[in-house]
Amino acid sequence: MPEYKRKSIRASQIEEYISLVEQGVNIIYVVSDSISTSKIAPFMERFPERLVNVGIAEQNLIGVATGLSNGGFIPVTGNATPFLISRSNEQLKVDASYSHTNIKINGLHAGFSYGTDGVTHHEVNDISTVRGFPSFEIFAPMDPADCKFITRYSVLENNGPVYISLNTGEYQSLLPENEKRTVGVPLQFEHGDDITVIALGTAIHDVLEAYTQVKTKGICHADIFAVNSIRPFYPDSLIESLCRTGRVITVEQHSTHGGLGSKVAELIADEGIGAKLFRMGVPEGVFTKNWTAADNKKYFALGAEGIKAKIREAMKL
Amino acid sequence: MTIKELELKANSIRKAIVNMIYNAKGGHLGTSLSEVDILTYLFFSCMNIDPESPKKEERDRFILSKGHGSEGLYCTLQARGYFPEEWIDHYMDHSNPLTIHPTNKVPGIEVCTGALGHGLSIAAGIALSAKLNEKNYKCFALTGDGELQEGSNWEAAMFASQKKLDNFVWIIDYNKLQLFKSVEDTVSLEPIRGKLESFGFDVHEVDGNDMTGIHNTFSSIDFTCGKPHAVIAHTTKGKGISYAENVAAWHHKIPNTQEWEQAIKELNNARV
Repeated sequence: MPEYKRKSIRASQIEEYISLVEQGVNIIYVVSDSISTSKIAPFMERFPERLVNVGIAEQNLIGVATGLSNGGFIPVTGNATPFLISRSNEQLKVDASYSHTNIKINGLHAGFSYGTDGVTHHEVNDISTVRGFPSFEIFAPMDPADCKFITRYSVLENNGPVYISLNTGEYQSLLPENEKRTVGVPLQFEHGDDITVIALGTAIHDVLEAYTQVKTKGICHADIFAVNSIRPFYPDSLIESLCRTGRVITVEQHSTHGGLGSKVAELIADEGIGAKLFRMGVPEGVFTKNWTAADNKKYFALGAEGIKAKIREAMKL
Repeated sequence: MTIKELELKANSIRKAIVNMIYNAKGGHLGTSLSEVDILTYLFFSCMNIDPESPKKEERDRFILSKGHGSEGLYCTLQARGYFPEEWIDHYMDHSNPLTIHPTNKVPGIEVCTGALGHGLSIAAGIALSAKLNEKNYKCFALTGDGELQEGSNWEAAMFASQKKLDNFVWIIDYNKLQLFKSVEDTVSLEPIRGKLESFGFDVHEVDGNDMTGIHNTFSSIDFTCGKPHAVIAHTTKGKGISYAENVAAWHHKIPNTQEWEQAIKELNNARV
């Protein structure tokens, strides 16, 4: 696997938007005072006329962006996921989804990545919520290169509403930017017949770290997948893997309901696969903690240690 | 069109609304009748539109934020030539694009509405797009009065003022009634004029069921004044049908055969 420098996913996305505008794509970026949250400064310096700040008004954010789409722009929004999902909920449903608006919506600091700002600033149900809005395509990029690919796709090849859930922090790109990818198809990193481990977005980094240690100790051989797209979702490779291994762990910095864990549970049930599922995430009915993201990750056992323990547990079955 | 012709057009649209709701056994009679004169004026005399080319880039846009007034909009659009009369005749049939709350599957309708408090933000975004694109199109948005109890409207109002959107016209169908009783006895909007002025709007008031007044008001708007515009249109809910006028229950009551016959008779005999 090639080594790449760790980089902010959000910053890489802004680089891509700048590149797209330079290529003549009519993007306009809309924020609800979320200038620093969106890391939009380089874009703003380059194209000040293409940034609209609606103030601290998330309902207005999506409404105004919808109007800008009507006027021929490709509006991109970037603001904190909790306020987007909860405050703009009906605008996402009606203005974006029902009206099938050409709008690209970024949920920033998804999951518990706001850390000590706490529950008001955490959002572990963004994917679950947006799955309820039919015309949206829904993505969770795993690293900067993946984010660039998804961002480019969302603007150039999709003319409807797209939601991208973006984690905070810096990550190493696992695949080169020019690596061929198919939207909606999970990315496979390891091959093995004992167990399947599937990660949502950036959780793949923790899964790969855990598996490196597990593999060294000879505990098991696993199929390891990253899912970066919840809709569209083409699960043929997952179905084949689950039928073969019979046990699967899902890992996500999201609620265990409505996200990846649910998606795989539905897959197992719908396809009649005899596989035992272990869902790792924030359990249903539980608030996150008002702690750092690292401490939340540890508390919900979503770091490499927790994943290793879960693989050991699953292998005992 | 002359004022007289516009009045005759509005009267025929009223009859179409009554027939449409009576036949389909669904809809919002009172609110559709209060807005008819404004819609007739906008679509037949004021807006730069082309029903043959409903997506023309330079078109003026109209947003029905009070989406439950759909029958008024549908009958106006049909009369203006956006779609065949057959759609009105088969209102609410499963294969018909015309549904109780409007969708943008219907030519002439920009976005889906029906949940209140959405239209002004969208309209402000459209108006801003014209400014940024250095185009001359305008955006007109019609809200209800009770609808203004939704806080999102005021987010949009602040934004429109901040951006000096003088190509944005917010029309308030101020019929003074909401679903159950008067706006005044629910959560009052007053002083609405003062509120709008304090938000930085160029404010106009008019009898929203008087075509001459509507014409004079819209003709007087200065689209270069650097302020967004608000037209407080004082209207009568159920306008044109004696038993429905100013009666909250006719928000979405369906006329029975006797009531339908009386409504059509009154509209036929209306002094236009």
